[in-house]
Amino acid sequence: MANKSIKKDQVKSLLDKLAQSNQLIAPIQSEGITLFKPVKSGEGVVLDYQNALVPPKDFFFPQSEKMFTYDTTDPSWAITPVDGVPNRVLFGARPCDVKSILLLDKVFDAEFRDDYYLDKRNKTTIVAMSCTDARHTCFCGAFGISPGEAEGADILLTDLGDKYLAEVLTEKGEALVSSCGSLFTDDDGNGPAAKEKAVAPAKEKQMQIGLEGVKEKLDNMFDHPIWDTESLRCIGCGTCTFVCPTCHCFDIVDFNNQSSIGYRYRCADSCQFANFTRAAGGHQPRPSKKERTRQRFMHKLRYFVDRYGDFGCVGCGRCIEKCPVNLDIAQIINKVKEVG
Amino acid sequence: MAKNELAPKAARIMNITRETSDTKTFTLVFTNPADQDAFNYRPGQFVEISVLGVGEAPISITSSPSRKGFLELSIKRVGQLTETIHALSPGSIVGIRGPYGNGFPFEDVNGDNILFVAGGIGLAPLRSLINYVFDNRRDYGDVKILYGSRNSGELVFTGELDRWSGMPETEVLVTVDRGDEYWQGNVGLVTTLIPRIKLTPESYSAFVCGPPVMIPFVIKDLLKLGFREDKIISTLENYMKCGVGKCGHCLLGGKYICMEGPVFKYSQMKDLGFG
Repeated sequence: MANKSIKKDQVKSLLDKLAQSNQLIAPIQSEGITLFKPVKSGEGVVLDYQNALVPPKDFFFPQSEKMFTYDTTDPSWAITPVDGVPNRVLFGARPCDVKSILLLDKVFDAEFRDDYYLDKRNKTTIVAMSCTDARHTCFCGAFGISPGEAEGADILLTDLGDKYLAEVLTEKGEALVSSCGSLFTDDDGNGPAAKEKAVAPAKEKQMQIGLEGVKEKLDNMFDHPIWDTESLRCIGCGTCTFVCPTCHCFDIVDFNNQSSIGYRYRCADSCQFANFTRAAGGHQPRPSKKERTRQRFMHKLRYFVDRYGDFGCVGCGRCIEKCPVNLDIAQIINKVKEVG
Repeated sequence: MAKNELAPKAARIMNITRETSDTKTFTLVFTNPADQDAFNYRPGQFVEISVLGVGEAPISITSSPSRKGFLELSIKRVGQLTETIHALSPGSIVGIRGPYGNGFPFEDVNGDNILFVAGGIGLAPLRSLINYVFDNRRDYGDVKILYGSRNSGELVFTGELDRWSGMPETEVLVTVDRGDEYWQGNVGLVTTLIPRIKLTPESYSAFVCGPPVMIPFVIKDLLKLGFREDKIISTLENYMKCGVGKCGHCLLGGKYICMEGPVFKYSQMKDLGFG
């Protein structure tokens, strides 16, 4: 598909237009924090951010979402499914977060298809944004992700100074471009070379982490003492899992506020909590921080590979940045590599 | 949006049998006959049972698919949801989704002699297979059933244990951890019954289910007797929510107990960091 470009001074018009016929989700800044939010227009959308505090995962797999409603006094025991979402455009997702959505697809579009997730996924066009800079916690390259590629996105924008290169990657992306008339123009042919130059700092500045042999080592490290030592400083707050773009564990809860009308919802849950695995009868397979810390790293770097053929981490670095005790998955990877 | 896999279907409680002071067996029939007809399961599979406004929990199916038109769940009162279910009467409606999980590999043990070892409420999932075996008696060899509970008041399916002991080529031994004035039978852990049965391990498959603390001890004794690792089959339980391999709770050594389990051969369990 032909490369397009869009002048920077046209981006607000583009966002305004997208917001007219779609729910537009874009990064905004408030009190120094960048977050993806539904917006009514291009007003206030930030384009020079590094990455959002929490990933846009929330728009496919919300932290909390209603599953169905019911009336406990209804003798027919009817349950009412929730409405689906409108057509949406997710604007400005970084390549690591786009990859995380492909990983979530593997979980939710599996043997049992998850209609809640797939409804949102199918109705969302993803406009990704290349990275031209890296944070000190970034290491997407370890997982084969490039700051200038975004498989899974429908359009990939790259900042080229006074304009964005717009690589149209899918039919959904084509439909978006053609619905925007003259806002996009044909690229002059220099776009791809200029992109390589633009994303080079993001490749060079990020942590260079290699994963050679890590999965194979972890296959034999279930009982390794590394989990005793590395888990010591964990305080079990679960922040790592809540900022993670690939964590997909959830709880299912009923809520009816002392009335007969209620709903069942699901919400993010964390393997770092003792209650995550404690059964009503008292059975507790992960009784201490050691088992719970091991579970998080094993799930990302070993179990996810066994199950889905890919690592369950995209190197976004959020868990490293936000962990209050500096438990660092990049350091864990390096330590596993040092194990004899 | 269409109803999805996580939305339960209505089932009516037709009968309630009190097994012990804290365990009841519920007979359920889906209110929509099409749902009942479509509900095909294997021994060893489980369902998620819901009470709207309270919640949902995984419970193994204790009836045998060889007896059609209903399903039975034996439920021990251990938490908020099971407490609520215990307070329901016949005629009440609960939600059911499933069946989930792999179930017992009954085809693989065709022609084998079969040893069942159960502890407490662990007899519930095995009962499904035991009745399946008796309903297909010619496909299997000798049957031996070892069952133990903490005390005589906690033995479940006592009437059925008597019936099974009267079946041809079948031996049933029951024990309790602590004896009392009402109990005249064996006293001791279920493992004390193992040396009392005469069997040739190479011709047997063993199915083991009970509290997590019991299973490793039984397996150890069976291995010592000479059972093959892939002929010792157990069914595991972990806290679960979705039942369909997504919510993450039951993940054990990279396997979703709700999907690849709950039934595992010991040769597989070793790789899960179990025991």
